[in-house]
Amino acid sequence: MTSVRPKLKPETPKTVTAWNTATGNVVWLRADETWTEDASELGVFTGEAADAALEKAKTQEGAITDPYFMEVTVDGKVAGRESLRESIRANGPTVPYGVIIR
Amino acid sequence: MYRYDEFDAQIVKERVDQFRGQVERRLSGEILEDEFKPLRLQNGVYLQLHAYMLRVAIPYGQLNAARMRKLAKIARDYDRGYGHMTTRQNIQYNWVALKDIPDVLEELAEVEMHAIQTSGNCIRNVTSDHFAGATKDEIMDPRPWCEIIRQWSTFHPEFAFLPRKFKIAVTAAEHDRAAIRVHDIGLHMRERDGVVGFEVHVGGGQGRTPIIAAMVNEFVPETEILDYLEAIMRVYNRFGRRDNKYKARIKILVSETGAEEFTRLVEEEYAAQQESEKIALPQAEIDRINAYFAPPEFAEKPETSDAFERAKAADPAFANWAKVNLHPHKVAGYTSVTISLKPIAGLAGDATDGQMAVMAHLAETYGFDDIRVTHAQNVVLPHVALDDLYDVYRELDAAGLATANESLITDMIVCPGLDYCNLANARSIPVGQEIQKVFADPAYEQDIGKLHVNISGCINACGHHHVGHIGILGVDRKGEEYYQISLGGRADEKAAVGQIIGKALRHEEVPGAVKTIVDTYRDLRISADEKFIDAVERLGVEPFQEAIYAAD
Repeated sequence: MTSVRPKLKPETPKTVTAWNTATGNVVWLRADETWTEDASELGVFTGEAADAALEKAKTQEGAITDPYFMEVTVDGKVAGRESLRESIRANGPTVPYGVIIR
Repeated sequence: MYRYDEFDAQIVKERVDQFRGQVERRLSGEILEDEFKPLRLQNGVYLQLHAYMLRVAIPYGQLNAARMRKLAKIARDYDRGYGHMTTRQNIQYNWVALKDIPDVLEELAEVEMHAIQTSGNCIRNVTSDHFAGATKDEIMDPRPWCEIIRQWSTFHPEFAFLPRKFKIAVTAAEHDRAAIRVHDIGLHMRERDGVVGFEVHVGGGQGRTPIIAAMVNEFVPETEILDYLEAIMRVYNRFGRRDNKYKARIKILVSETGAEEFTRLVEEEYAAQQESEKIALPQAEIDRINAYFAPPEFAEKPETSDAFERAKAADPAFANWAKVNLHPHKVAGYTSVTISLKPIAGLAGDATDGQMAVMAHLAETYGFDDIRVTHAQNVVLPHVALDDLYDVYRELDAAGLATANESLITDMIVCPGLDYCNLANARSIPVGQEIQKVFADPAYEQDIGKLHVNISGCINACGHHHVGHIGILGVDRKGEEYYQISLGGRADEKAAVGQIIGKALRHEEVPGAVKTIVDTYRDLRISADEKFIDAVERLGVEPFQEAIYAAD
C-alpha cells in the first residue's frame, strides 16, 4: 500500500492501477476495462464510471492486487500530487541498475 | 559457520512447502491480498513500487562461497541480475515474481538459508560486528551468541505476534560497529572475573522517534542471558502499545515508562520465572555452538609481508586501496578486507550476480570460505593473508569492486528511496550519487577523513539518517522532493541522534550544502587529526548552519 493516496474529486480524470498478482508488475486499466502493463494504453475515467471501474477491479483481486485511483490528465498522462511516485512506478527507477551500470 | 541439523533443515523445508501452498491459493484467487499479506510478510515478501521484493535473512551477516553463489544464481535466474545488501546485513531482491518465490525459497534451503522472520512483528535477523572473529579489538567472537539467540528467537511461539518488529544486535568489540544502541535490544559482550556476560541496552531505535537505548543491566552472565531476554520480551509483549503503530516499538515503552521503572519490571519478571521454565543453557550446548565458530587454521606468518610491500610500491592504486579498505586482524600476517559496494555514482549496496560470484571465488580461494555483509551495505572478507592481498585486489578491481572509500564520505548508507520503495517520500539513490560526484577526488576525500553520510527517503529511517555524521532525510512538500539535513549523529559506542540544522533544501541544493558543511569543517578543524564528528561535537551545529543558511 502506498504511503499517500490522495482523495480525488469525482470530476478529476483518473485511472485504476494495481499490480499483477503473479508477477508483481504494475498494471493500469484500459478504457475497455482490460489490464495493460503499458502506461501509454491506460484509460481515463471520471465520475460514476470511475467508481464503477474501481469497484469492478476490486472483484478481480485474484489476478490483480490492491487497485486504487491514480490521477491523470485528460489525455492519460500522470498528473497531480503523486506525479513523481506514479511516474517512477510507470517508468521504473530513475537510476540505471543491475548489469547496466557495472 | 553454523550448519543446520536435521531439525533446522526440516522446519525450513516445511515452511517452504507451506508457503508454496499459500502462494498457489493466492494465485488462484482462493485467498485475497488482505488475507495473504500477513502470510507473505512472514516469508520476507513485500509488494513495493514496481514489483515484489524478497528479503533473505543472512544471520549476523555471515555467508560462505556456496551461499553467495546461490544468491548470485537467484539474482540471475529469478531477478534482474543483482541483489541489494541491507542495513541489517540481509539481501533484498527487487524484481522477483510471486509465482517464482516458492522455488527461490527452495533453492535457498539447499544452502541452509531462508526468509523467515525478515518481516512482520517478530524478532528479526540478529546482527553483529562484521569483523567478528577477526578483529583485534574484540574480547571474544560474538557470533556463537548471535547463533544461540537466532535459534531461541526463530519460531518462538510466545514472541510471534509482538506489538511491533524487534531487532537485536550483538557486539564484543569496544568500538561498536553493529549500532547496538539504536536497536530494540543491544548486547555488548563483556568479561568479568573470567565469566562471559552481556551489558544489556534496551529501547534504542530510529524511525520517526529516534531514541538511544537505555542500559538496563551492566552484566548478565551468558548462562542467564536467554532467560533475561525472555523477561524483557515478556514485559514488552504485555505493556507495549498495540493501539498505535507509531507508539508500538519497545523504545516508546522504555521512554514512556522510564528506564528505571522499565528495568524494575524486567527484574521483577526475571525473578518471577520458575526454575522449571528457565532455559539456563547448559555449558555443553554453549560449547557445541562455539565449536561451529572455531577460528580457521591460520598459517604462522610475520606481521609484515614482503609481497604486500612490493605490490604497494609498484601499484599506487593498490597502495591507496590498501590504505583505506583494510582492518587490523588479530592474527599476524592477516587482514580483513572491505569490499566497497559504493562506487562513485553507482548504486549503494547493490552487487551484480557476476560480482557475487567473484566475491564467492575470492572467499573460497583466499579467505577461508568466510564472507560478511556489513550494516553499512558493504561486503567483508574477514580473513585474508597479506601475502595474497594483491591477487585479491586485482580480481576485485577487474569486477568493479575495488573502490577505496571504506568509512569515507562516499561510502554512504542509502535506502532504496522512492526509486523502489512504496513508503518513501523522496529519492535517495540519485542524491547519494550526486554527493559522491562532489567528493570523487580521492585526495580530497581522504583529506576529509572518516565521515558517515546516511540518507533516508522517508521518516522510517532505513538509511539511518538520524545516526549519520551528516544525515539526510527526504521529505515530500506538495509533491516535490526536499531534504532535511542533520549533523552530529553517530551509531557507535557514543551513539547520538543528529540535530536538524535548518529548513529542508531542494534536491539540487543538497550536494552543494554537503560540500559547504565539509569545507566548513576543514576550515575549523584543529588539525587533520580531528575527525568530522569530533569537530561537530566541539563546535556545535551553529558554524555549519551559518555557512549554509547565511545567504537567506
